[in-house]
Amino acid sequence: MSTRRIVTVSAGMSTPSSTRMLADRLTEATEKALSERGEQVQTRVVELRDVAHDIMNAMTTRVPTGELRGVLEDLGEADGIIAVTPVFNASYSGLFKSFFDIVEPDDLDGMPVLMGATGGSPRHSLVLEHALRPMFSYTRSTVVPTGVYAASEDWGSGENGGRELGQRIDRAGRQLAMLATERAPKGADPFEEPTPFADLMSGLGT
Amino acid sequence: MQFGIFSVSDVTPDPTTGRTPTEAERIKAMVRIALKAEEVGLDVFATGEHHNPPFVASSPTTMLGYIAAQTERLQLSTSTTLITTNDPVKIAEDFAMLQHLADGRVDVMMGRGNTGPVYPWFGYDIREGINLALEHYNLLHRLWREDVVDWQGKFRTPLQGFTATPRPLDGVPPFVWHGSIRSPEIAEQAAFYGDGFFHNNIFWPATHTRKLISLYRRRYEYYGHGKAEEAIVGLGGQVFMRKNSQDAVKEFRPYFDNAPVYGGGPSLEEFTRETPLTVGSPQEVIDRTLGFREMFGDYQRQLFLMDHAGLPLKTVLEQLDLLGEEVVPVLRKEFAAKKPDHVPDAPTHASLLAAKKAAGEGEQEEQE
Repeated sequence: MSTRRIVTVSAGMSTPSSTRMLADRLTEATEKALSERGEQVQTRVVELRDVAHDIMNAMTTRVPTGELRGVLEDLGEADGIIAVTPVFNASYSGLFKSFFDIVEPDDLDGMPVLMGATGGSPRHSLVLEHALRPMFSYTRSTVVPTGVYAASEDWGSGENGGRELGQRIDRAGRQLAMLATERAPKGADPFEEPTPFADLMSGLGT
Repeated sequence: MQFGIFSVSDVTPDPTTGRTPTEAERIKAMVRIALKAEEVGLDVFATGEHHNPPFVASSPTTMLGYIAAQTERLQLSTSTTLITTNDPVKIAEDFAMLQHLADGRVDVMMGRGNTGPVYPWFGYDIREGINLALEHYNLLHRLWREDVVDWQGKFRTPLQGFTATPRPLDGVPPFVWHGSIRSPEIAEQAAFYGDGFFHNNIFWPATHTRKLISLYRRRYEYYGHGKAEEAIVGLGGQVFMRKNSQDAVKEFRPYFDNAPVYGGGPSLEEFTRETPLTVGSPQEVIDRTLGFREMFGDYQRQLFLMDHAGLPLKTVLEQLDLLGEEVVPVLRKEFAAKKPDHVPDAPTHASLLAAKKAAGEGEQEEQE
């Protein structure tokens, strides 16, 4: 039995935010599903607002200041990521995108990712498919088939009192748990095991 | 241990006056700064190479040759020479010529250049940056060591029976450093050849820098050039000093806040906490620099970035006075006291020539 590490990234702005609520529920569902599979679980939920200035520092100078460095390190070592954003102007929030723009590409390569988004209207639910999924395809992450979008009515005011949202969350959590458990170990660290010089020169004039 | 300065040659408006120096003023200022480096007892002046505004240093050997003529001791170097977009044949010739003119006071630091549009201006593609650095340097290495070269590769027209002239001074090629801030391939390359490895140590947190330097040291030993702790390491650094720490912070802040590379980003306080930038008293610079040794091991060359972000020439010259009078003498003593005997100094023409002669005598003895 090993410990699986899940890092949840929430780009909600208010406290409390529906984005954070969704992030927490996805985290709980994933924890539960991993436990059922006999795994130990370690989770970390990151509010991007807390490191918003640090994200801009890293964007402008590549130096991740403050808490951000630890967040990026934990992200790189995670077995799975839960990424949840509010919908702003028909897409992910700028802060959400900026954060993933500064993550080292290798750290997301093959990473299981569960996507979540929140909005005031169900009409934006395809944001998961037209904004988030392409971004995580670009980073070569393994995206969980079920993404979870929650509009205002999903939180209990709708016809079925939020039951469907709960089912989607559980299904998404089970899928992330499966991918996180089966995640192949990361490739060799090029700083620990560099490509030997002879291989670097292969095909080049000597 | 060598101490010196490196310049990126930026033409930046002084944010406190709004005035931008002309190219002529900036070029002459760089020369004045180099001469001052020798006056205050520093060992090295290195110039960058750029082919786009707002930088002026497109022709490093021209500038270094002019400085060589007016100095006696100063080691002339680059930070960096673009091994990707320059023709290795021209690098071989330009720096061999400079070596002769400067009586051997020359070394070269290779770098790739990270500005995409520059590559096609010279007929190349940035996506081939690593491969260009590998193939071009391999050819340069041969051109300096073999009198007649036959060569064929991927990026350059083939050479048949080619001799780069002049031949390196005394048959000793300039010592080469490879500069990189994040590429394990370049650390591997430097280690393979037994060349030096330089990290500019400015934008990256120390943990990143340490990973790259440890990799270089480990592989230097693997390729049989000596023990890991004997590998030749150079570091950059960036300082602004006044006798009183608060004065330094107050004076430097507008330059930091408006610098093209930091402006709109972190605060001066955040950046000094997270990177090697030190703004304060000479003693603070001494303490921080000695800390590099704790972090990266004994190293051979420390270069400081001093003339950038629109700082006026007068201020830069004052900084060099402080560096030469109050900082470097203490650092020399402290580093020397801490360095084990078996860790070598940075190679110079004199030391490489002596090593060559010793090796020659060894061979003769074997033949006899």
